[in-house]
Amino acid sequence: MSEQNQNETQQQEQRKHGEEKRGEFLRRMSSLASEATRGMVSRVRWLIYAERGRRVMAGLAVTGMVAGVVVAQPVCMIEPGEVGIRVNRLTGKVAELREGWALLVPQVHRLSRYSLKDQTYQPTRSTRATDPAPFQSVEGLSIGVEVTIRYVLDPERIPALAARLPEDIGRDIVEPVIDGVLRRHFAQHTVREIFSTHRVKIQQDLSAELLPLLAADGVIVRTVTLGNVDLPQQYRTGMEVLLAEELNAEKMRYTLELKDKQVKQSALEAEADKVRREKAAEAAGNEEIIAAKAKAEAMRHVLPFKEKEIEQRRLEAEAAKVSRLTQASAEAEAHRIEAAGEADARRKLAEADAYRVDVTGKAASEQLARDAELISRNPLLIQKTLADKLSDKIQVIIAPPQAGGFIAGNLLGQPQEARYAGGSSKGSSLAQAAVSENTDSDTTGSEE
Amino acid sequence: MLATLVAIALVVQDQAPLRAASQDSAPRQATLWQGEWLEVRGERQGFIQVYDHRRERPGYVREQQVRVVHLDEASVPRLQAVVEFLEDTPGAEALGIGYAAALLRAVPASQVGPELFDALGSMADRLARRATSHRSNDASLAAHLDVAASYGVKLVSFEREGRTRVCYDGEAFRRVLALGGSPEMRLRAALALTRPECIDPAMNPLERQALDEWRSTVLEQVDAGRLPAYLANRLHLRRAEVHAALSYQLSRRGEAQRGAKASERAVASLASVLKAELAEEDKSAYAAAAVRVGASRFASEPASEQPGAGPVLALSKGQPGETCLRLADAKAPGSALFERCTYGLVWPGSVRRSAQGSAVAVAVQLLEGWTELWVFHQEGEGWVLDALAPAATEPSLGYVELAGFSPDGSRVLVAREALVEGRIKSSFQVLKRDTLLPEKSADSPGALGAFQRWSSADWRGGTVAMR
Repeated sequence: MSEQNQNETQQQEQRKHGEEKRGEFLRRMSSLASEATRGMVSRVRWLIYAERGRRVMAGLAVTGMVAGVVVAQPVCMIEPGEVGIRVNRLTGKVAELREGWALLVPQVHRLSRYSLKDQTYQPTRSTRATDPAPFQSVEGLSIGVEVTIRYVLDPERIPALAARLPEDIGRDIVEPVIDGVLRRHFAQHTVREIFSTHRVKIQQDLSAELLPLLAADGVIVRTVTLGNVDLPQQYRTGMEVLLAEELNAEKMRYTLELKDKQVKQSALEAEADKVRREKAAEAAGNEEIIAAKAKAEAMRHVLPFKEKEIEQRRLEAEAAKVSRLTQASAEAEAHRIEAAGEADARRKLAEADAYRVDVTGKAASEQLARDAELISRNPLLIQKTLADKLSDKIQVIIAPPQAGGFIAGNLLGQPQEARYAGGSSKGSSLAQAAVSENTDSDTTGSEE
Repeated sequence: MLATLVAIALVVQDQAPLRAASQDSAPRQATLWQGEWLEVRGERQGFIQVYDHRRERPGYVREQQVRVVHLDEASVPRLQAVVEFLEDTPGAEALGIGYAAALLRAVPASQVGPELFDALGSMADRLARRATSHRSNDASLAAHLDVAASYGVKLVSFEREGRTRVCYDGEAFRRVLALGGSPEMRLRAALALTRPECIDPAMNPLERQALDEWRSTVLEQVDAGRLPAYLANRLHLRRAEVHAALSYQLSRRGEAQRGAKASERAVASLASVLKAELAEEDKSAYAAAAVRVGASRFASEPASEQPGAGPVLALSKGQPGETCLRLADAKAPGSALFERCTYGLVWPGSVRRSAQGSAVAVAVQLLEGWTELWVFHQEGEGWVLDALAPAATEPSLGYVELAGFSPDGSRVLVAREALVEGRIKSSFQVLKRDTLLPEKSADSPGALGAFQRWSSADWRGGTVAMR
C-alpha cells in the first residue's frame, strides 16, 4: 500500500517539474520571435531606403525573370520526320508545324509532336504461351504469336485529328485496336489452323480488317506479319507428332504418286523401247532385204555368164563328140584300109616267102649236092672248115680265184699258195684258167 | 596341311586311267586327258589319291601321269616356264591351258600381266584352229576341247561355206589389249579378235556394221610404227579390209562422208603395205584385201564433171534402198535414153564416158566385196545396158573396173579381179564395145599392148589392180 502511495507521490513530483520546464521554454521562444521580427523589418527598410539595398533587389528581380523564361521554353525544335500541332488555348486555333524552330507562348500554346516515321507494334505480352496475356484459340488453348504490325500516321489527317486524338496514338489507339482484332481473329481459328494451315489467310484477314479500322483514326497499316507461334509444350509435342504423321501420309501420297509416275514412265519407256526395237528390227529387216535383193541382182548378172558357160561347154562337148566320132570313123576306116593293105601285103609277102623258100630250097639242095660232091672228093676240107670257124673265137681271160681265198687276202698278207691249193706254178694255173674260160666262152657263144 | 590343301594335280598324259584303288588292276573309274585338274588328297604306293571335281568322283592315278603343283607364290617361276614352253607346242593346248589356269591361281593378282593372257589366248586360238582343220585322226581333240571348256575357254562354232568352223571368243586377247603388253602381243590379240573368218555369217547388216566399227577400234589400238615390217603389213592388211567393209556399210546407210573417209583409209592402209617385206603366208591375204579395197575404192572418188556433149547419167532414189540410173541426152535432158534401178550402190565418182559419147560406164557395188561395171552403150538407134560381173562364180569377192576406151571408142578395157576356187584371179581384157565380149585377155596389163596405149591415166593412178 505504501509502495502505491510512494509511486503516486513520485508521479506528482515529476508532473510538477515538467510544467516548470515548459513555461521556461515558452518564454524563451517568444523572446526569440520578437527578435526576428525586429531584424526583418530592419532588413526591408534597408532594401527600400538604402542604395545598395535597391541594387540587390533589382538583381534578384532580373534573375527571377531569366529563370522563368528558361523554365517556360517559348521556342522549341521540330525534328525531321516529325510534325508538330500547335493549339492556341485561347482561340482554339490549330497550326501544323513542319520541321524547324517553333514559337510557343507559354500558357497560351500547347504543342503536340507526332512522328511521321514508320512504327511497329509488337504485342510483347503475347509472344509466348506462358506470357501474361497470351492469345486464345477456338479450343481455348493459350498460344503465343509473334505479331508485328507496321503502321504510320497519315500526315494529311494529323491536323484534323490532333484536336480529338490522344497524345500517344500508338499506345492509346493503335495498340488496343490491334489487340482486340488479333484476339478476336485468333479466337476464331483452331491451333492447327494458326500453326500451319491458315496462317496466310489469318494474316490476310487481319490486314483486311485492320486497314479500314485504323484508317478512320488516321493510321495507315503497312504490313501485318505473323511470326513464330508458340504452343503449350504438350500440345506442341502432340501437334508435331500429328504433323509428322500427316507429313508421312503426305510423303506416302507423293511417293505413291511418284511410283505411279515411275510406272507410267517405265511403261512409256518400254513402249518407246519396243517401238525403237521394232523400228530397228524393221530397219535391220529392210537392210537384210536390200542386201538380199542386191545379192539376187548380182546373181542375176552372173547367171547369164553361167548359162553361157554351160552352153559353151555343151557346144564344146558336142563339137568334141562330133570330132571324136569323125576321128573314130576315120580311124576305123584307116584301120580297115590298113588291115586290108596289111593282109594284102602279108599275102604278097607270104607268096614272096614261098617263092623265096622254093628258090632257096632249090639253091640249097643244089649247093648241098655240090658240097657233097666236093667233100667226097676232098675229106680234109672238114677239119679246115672247123679250124676256120674256131680261129676267131679263142681268147685269153685271166679269171679271179674261184674259191678258198678271202676277198681281202691281199690286204691281209695271206700267202699266195693258200689260194691255189695243189697248183705247181703261176704259168700253169693261168693256162688252166685260160682253157677253162675258153671253154666257157665257147659254150656261151654256142648258146647265143 | 595348308600346302596339301592348295596342291593340285594336272594330268599330263592322254587317256590316263583314274583307278578305284591304288593298283593297276583296280577298275578304271574314268579316263583322264591332259590338262585336267584334280585335287590332291594323298599319296599311296606310287599312286596319287585325287578327287576329280568335274566328274565328281575320287580315285587314284599313277604318279607319272600327273604333275603335282602347289598353288603358292614359290611355284610361280616353275609354272611360268612350263607355260612358256607349252605356248608353242602344238597338240598340248589343253595341258597349256591347264597350266595357265594353275599359274593364274598361284600368281598374286598384282603380278598378272598381259603375257599370261597372251599365252592363254594363243593356245586357245590354236586349239580352235586344230578343231577346224581337216585332220580327222585327232582322237583326243574332242576331249581337249572339253578340258578347255572346263577352264572357261569359250569356243564358238558356226557353219561357213558348208563347213563347221570353231573359233575362240577372244576373252584373253581382250584382256591383253586392256593390260597393255608388247606391240607384238597387241598385234596378235588384235588380229585374233578381228579375224574375218570368225564372223558369224548369220549376222544381219546392222550387227555387221557395229562389229566392223568395233573391229576398226580394236585395230587402232595397235601401234604399227613399233612393229617389224612384216608384222606391220598384217596390221595394214586387216585395217584395209575392215575399212573397206565399213566404207560399203556406211555408204549403204546413207552416211556418205564417213563412208568416203573409211574408203580413203582403206586405200591408205593398203598402200602402207611394204611389198618387199610381205611374208609368204600373207600374200593371199594381200590379194584378198586388195580386191576388197578395189571393190569399194570408188566411195572416196568425187563425182567428176564430164566435159563435152553426150549422154549424162543422173542418179535418183527409188524404193527404199534402191538407186535409179537414168541416162539422158545432154541436149534434151527431159527424155531418158535408158533407165534402170538397182539395189546396189552406184558410185557417182566412177562414171566415165567414151570420147565419142557412145558408151557410158559406171561401177555398181552390189555386195560388200563385189563391184560390177555397168556399161550403157549404143546399139543402132537405142541404148542397152550390159552388166559386167567380176567372174562367173557365186558372188562373193571381186570387182571389175573400167581401164579406158580405145581412141575410136570401139574397144573397152577392163580389169577384173575375183576370188575363183579359193584363189584371187586377175585378168586384164580388151572387150568389143558392141558385144562386150573379150577380144584379148592377159594376166598382167603389161602383156597387152592395148592396155599400155589406151588405159586412162586416172585408172592407172587410182587402181589397186596394178599393185
